[in-house]
This record gives sequence, structure tokens and C-alpha cells, in this order.
Amino acid sequence: MKAEDILSEIKKDYVLAKLKDGERIDGRKFDEFRKIEIHSGIIQKAEGSALVKLGNTQVVVGIKMQPGEPFPDTPDKGVIITNAELVPLASPTFEPGPPDEHSVELARVVDRGIRESEAIDLEKLCIEPGKKVWIIFIDIHAVDDDGNLMDASSIATISALLNTKVPASRFGLGEDFKLPIRDLPISVTSLIVGNKYLVDPSKDELSVGENTLTITTDKNDNIVAIQKSGGYMLSEELFYELLDVSARCARKIREDYLKIII
Amino acid sequence: MRKIVLPGDLVATNSKVAGQGTYVENGKVYAKYLGLLDKDETQVRVIPLKGKYIPTAGDMVVGITKEVTANGWFVNINSPYQAFLPLMENPEYKSNKKPNEVLDIGDAIIARVLNVDPNMKVTLTMKDKMCHPIRLGRIVAINPARVPRVIGKKGSMIKMLKNELGIQIVVGQNGLIWLNGDAKKISIVEEAIYMIEEEAHTEGLTDRVAEFIKRRKGDVEAKTNS
Amino acid sequence: MLKPKLIVDGKRLDGRAFDELRPIKIEADVLKRADGSCYIEMGKNKVLAAVYGPRELHPRHLQDPSKAIIRYRYNMAAFSVEERRRPGPDRRSIEISKVSKEVFEAVIMKELFPRSAIDIFVEVLQADAGSRAAGINAASVALIDAGIPVKGIVTSVAVAKVDGQLVLDPMKEEDYYGEADLPIAFLIRNGKIESITLLQMDGRMTKDEIKRVIELAKKGVMEIYRLQRDAIMRKFMVEEDEG
Repeated sequence: MKAEDILSEIKKDYVLAKLKDGERIDGRKFDEFRKIEIHSGIIQKAEGSALVKLGNTQVVVGIKMQPGEPFPDTPDKGVIITNAELVPLASPTFEPGPPDEHSVELARVVDRGIRESEAIDLEKLCIEPGKKVWIIFIDIHAVDDDGNLMDASSIATISALLNTKVPASRFGLGEDFKLPIRDLPISVTSLIVGNKYLVDPSKDELSVGENTLTITTDKNDNIVAIQKSGGYMLSEELFYELLDVSARCARKIREDYLKIII
Repeated sequence: MRKIVLPGDLVATNSKVAGQGTYVENGKVYAKYLGLLDKDETQVRVIPLKGKYIPTAGDMVVGITKEVTANGWFVNINSPYQAFLPLMENPEYKSNKKPNEVLDIGDAIIARVLNVDPNMKVTLTMKDKMCHPIRLGRIVAINPARVPRVIGKKGSMIKMLKNELGIQIVVGQNGLIWLNGDAKKISIVEEAIYMIEEEAHTEGLTDRVAEFIKRRKGDVEAKTNS
Repeated sequence: MLKPKLIVDGKRLDGRAFDELRPIKIEADVLKRADGSCYIEMGKNKVLAAVYGPRELHPRHLQDPSKAIIRYRYNMAAFSVEERRRPGPDRRSIEISKVSKEVFEAVIMKELFPRSAIDIFVEVLQADAGSRAAGINAASVALIDAGIPVKGIVTSVAVAKVDGQLVLDPMKEEDYYGEADLPIAFLIRNGKIESITLLQMDGRMTKDEIKRVIELAKKGVMEIYRLQRDAIMRKFMVEEDEG
């Protein structure tokens, strides 16, 4: 048991005491996100990039592209490869080494949102059917984990894709062009405490347990990805309620932040 | 306002005045960490602005029991160093009891640092009238470097919090603070403590905290009345 | 690729004078979770450093009963360079981590914290020659921000020889095509350069050139030292003035 664990244990009482009074420790409503800041294009050496601050949580996403072989079952479509690094700089509990289950889950859930919403028009990324297509590397780099890296990564990923230029000229494949984006998937993660939910949980709030539900919706409010994370029982009522809450929160993020970028 | 000094800044040329937060090389006194310079004729000190709690004999601390052994208890004291409380240093221990019947994993205590050896093996004692197991109330955690500010000049801040709200407060040097009393009032003090931590080095802090408490007390009363 | 001319009309490719640093931006205390942190931009380099500790060290056999263990991890983000790099340490990162760790082993008062660990993490978000120096400069600020006792401030810069000319703080093209590159770090105390804490060189230079390189580096680090101090002062002064 390390010193940092004691702090989380102590915070837990505070979070639960507040919750009993129907409040969150930082005064937010239960369906309210922390303040979001998006800084697009901060990595000039990447084809696209964004730093997203979600409260104190910070994530940098960089997009790199290069020509490569398509998957045999989709010979005329570009390829998305998503990777997340939870580097030890970002949290006292992250260890150096190969991706653990948390970073794999993070990358896969973000990837699913992008893929299933068909946010990227992959057919426009075919260079030579069956032989050569564009490979899109989405690299998620967690920088400060103050809770809910998932949604910070989801917002950073779509923001980075929105400012991505396909580097065709560098590979002698004609002129550079804007990556064709046609949807804006946004994930919304809620912490589940009994029959209550807290949208966009902070690290302090997560001290009560890491039971979360992530719901990703596209611009038409369709659900494109769901991830229940943590060993807890989820009631059907709460799940249905969260489908609405998540779509509403995602719509607000899209309207408040992503409209400006497009 | 006190001057901020950085590590390596020359703070005195007479090694006799070297105090806390300084080091001496070739007769010169330098700051060893980031802090506020506190200087008079007899002593130069650097009061840290940040940093972990490093135990010193005599410190009052709040800790949580992490392991029970046949000889005593290992206690997490919010420090790079875990502390040990020997059976004989806990007055509640009787030879007919098992150690875990006296203190079990997860139990919180108020204890005093009895000894710190050169390898930083820390020994605690509870043979002190201030020391006892914590069975009620709540623990609040702050940056240990901000503890002096929560206590205030000659205990002024703590006195004010106690007088205004009538609750029990014990401030551990390790940044853990025990609060006991009415639950609503505990919440107000807890918020006040976070405010002190956040604004530790600002002017007129005591007045602002007093104002904050009055306002929050008013809110709570208004809620109960309506 | 053909080597371009690196010095034209007595000026460098980016218009700098020989003894001129790239633009530098430093900000202290930028990460919530870390005990101390710093963000630095040196030219196109964008680097974050975080310090955790002193903290308990596990497993126990790694502990040193007489002092803290210093660990340093230099890591490049996959998107930090033109060609995407595979995540994780390569041989270059491992070497940089080692020599950088030794810089801080020399200046941290580690005997004050027996059996503990002090971890320094450096993440290169964008690299453009000199990322190790940028990392060391940021790490030094992060250590001070964490309240860790150190003898002074460590400051690092590189000097290169390009087209026969000695230039301060080489950018990528100068580093790539240059005849020699010498990264160096100094301990600076109370505004005075005390000693060398990192020294590497590859390429070919005469003894006389090396001496001139050191002088050039000293000029550079004094400028960086002032920016490092400013970054910390700015952070903690603001705190004092608030309210």
C-alpha cells in the first residue's frame, strides 16, 4: 500500500458524504462535464494533432499517416490503427512497459467509436485497390490522468482527425488533402455509484470505485459503442437513462466545441 | 511579503546561522529547496512551498493501519516511509488481546513519532494524551507543506475554526487532519481547509476564511429553516 | 540526400547568429497528478517533465538503505518525429535516460531520503534536435517544483560544428549534417556555473575547438538558467498575489 492510496481512501469519504447530500465535490451537476479546452494542431510534425484538457485531465493525440497494405477483406479502404500510451508521467500509478489492459481498453473503445460511426471516409483513402491504401495511426498519449481519460481521448482523437492533412506529396502521391471526416463520434463516461451516475468523473470521484459505463454516440444520436467497465451490477433503468444522458452530453460537446473546428 | 528562493541561492555567508531548508558548503549557506526565506540575525530558514512529509521525532501524525503483526502495526503516514507502532507503545493493548482486536487493517489513529533512525525506520507511540484511535469523524488530506498555514500563527487559524464551528480538529504534521463533530459543520471546515491549502501564501487569508465560514453557516441554516 | 549549405552569408539556415539560442518557452507546474512538473519548448522541441517522489520503492530489494534511487525515463511519443516511431524505448532512449539520470544523481541530495525512489519522467511530444537538453532543463524545473532538495539548477544545451563553424543550440538540419555535436549540462548555483554534469560528443573537433564550444555553451546555459528561474518565480509569485 503506497502513500498515494491513503489519499484516495480519504477522498472517498468526502465524495460519498457529498453524494448523500445530492452534491458532487466540485459543485457540478450529475450530467455536467468539466471545462473542456481543445488546442488543435500543436504537433507540427504530425499529420494532425490535438491537446485536450478535460478539467485537469490532459491528453495529446497525434495522427501519423503512411501508405501500406490494406486488409484482405477491405482491399479498397484505408486502415485505422489506434494505440494508447499510459506513460508513468501521467499518474503515480502508471508503470513503464508494454500496454496493459487499461491502455488497450482505452485505445479499443476510442477506435470503436471512430470506426463504427464511419467518421473517416476510408474509401477515399485507397491508393491502389488491394495493394496500397493509407494507414492512419492514431496515437493517444495520456499526459495527466485526473480521471476520465476515455472521454478526453475521444474528444482529442476526433479533434486531431479534423485537422489532419493526408501527406500525399511526401510520398509522391499527388497533392496533400484534408482527411475526409463525415461524423463526430463522442464518448460519454459515467461513474456508477449504486443507483446514481456521475458523468465525466474526476480522479477524486473515482476513489469510490472504478465502475463506469461509456456510451459513444454519433452526430445523429445513434449509439456506436458501449463499454461497461468494472465488476458491478448495472440496472436496466439506469442503463436506459444513461443512453439519453450520454446522447445529450455528446450533442452539447459537439455543438459547443467541435462546430468551431469544422 | 517574504522572498522566494530557489535551490542553490545564497542565503547567508555565515554558516552559524544555517537553519532548516539550507545547506552549507565552504562556509556559505545556500537554499536547498524551493521556499520562502525567513531570515533574522540568529537564523536563516527556508520554509518549503512543496514537498513530501518526512517524519521527525516528536511530530503528531494521523495514520492508517496497513498491516498487523505479532509485534505491532505498520501504519501508512502519508510519507515515503511507512511507520511501525510496537504493541507496547499502544496503551490499549493488553497481553490477553490479539493485536488485531486492538487495531485492525484500515483503522485510523492519531500518534506521535517516537523515533526515526538513520535508515528512516519510523517508530510511533500512542502514549500521549493527544493520541487515540479514530472511530468517529472524518480525515482530510492536504499538501504537508501547507500544514503551518492551516495551524496559523500560534494556532490562530485552528482556534478560529474551532470557535466558529465547535468541532474537534487535530492537525497531523503529515498533512492529514482529523475532524469530529456535527456532519454539516465538518463539511464546512473541510471546505475551509481546502481553501487554506489552495491560497496558503496569500495576504489576509484568515479574514477570508472567517468570512467564508460565516457565509456557509448562513447557507446551512437557511436550508434547515426552509 | 545532398548536404545543403548550412551557413549562408554568416547566418544560419533559420537566420540565427552563431551564438543564438532558438526561442524558448518554459512553464512550471503544469500537471496536476505529478509532484512537480514542467513544460518546455526549445525551438520545435516540445517536452514535458514530471517528478514523482520521494516515494516508496518496490520491490524492496531495489532499495538503498543509505539514499534515494533516482530513475529517469526519456520517452518519445509515436508522433514526435516525421516518421512514426514505434512506442517504447529504443537503444537511443535508453542511453539518453542513463546519462540524464546521472546528471540528477549528482545534484539531488539523495542521502536525505534513504530507501525511497525519485522518479523523473520526460515525454518528448515533438523532437527537433536537442530534445535531451530540453528534457534535462524541464526535469530540473520539475524537481524544484516538487520541493526536492537539490544543490542548484541544472541547465543543458548542445553546441555543434557545421560548415567548420561552431554554433549554439543546433536545430535538426545542423545536427544531422554537422561535423560534430556536443551536448552538455552544468550545475548552476546562485547564478554561477559550478561544474559539468553531462558531457557527450560525437564527431571531430580539435582541443581548441572544444574549449571554444564550452565557452559558447556557458553563454547559452546562462540564458536558459534565467528562463528556468523566471518560470518557477512566475508560478509561485502569482500564487502569492492572488486574492
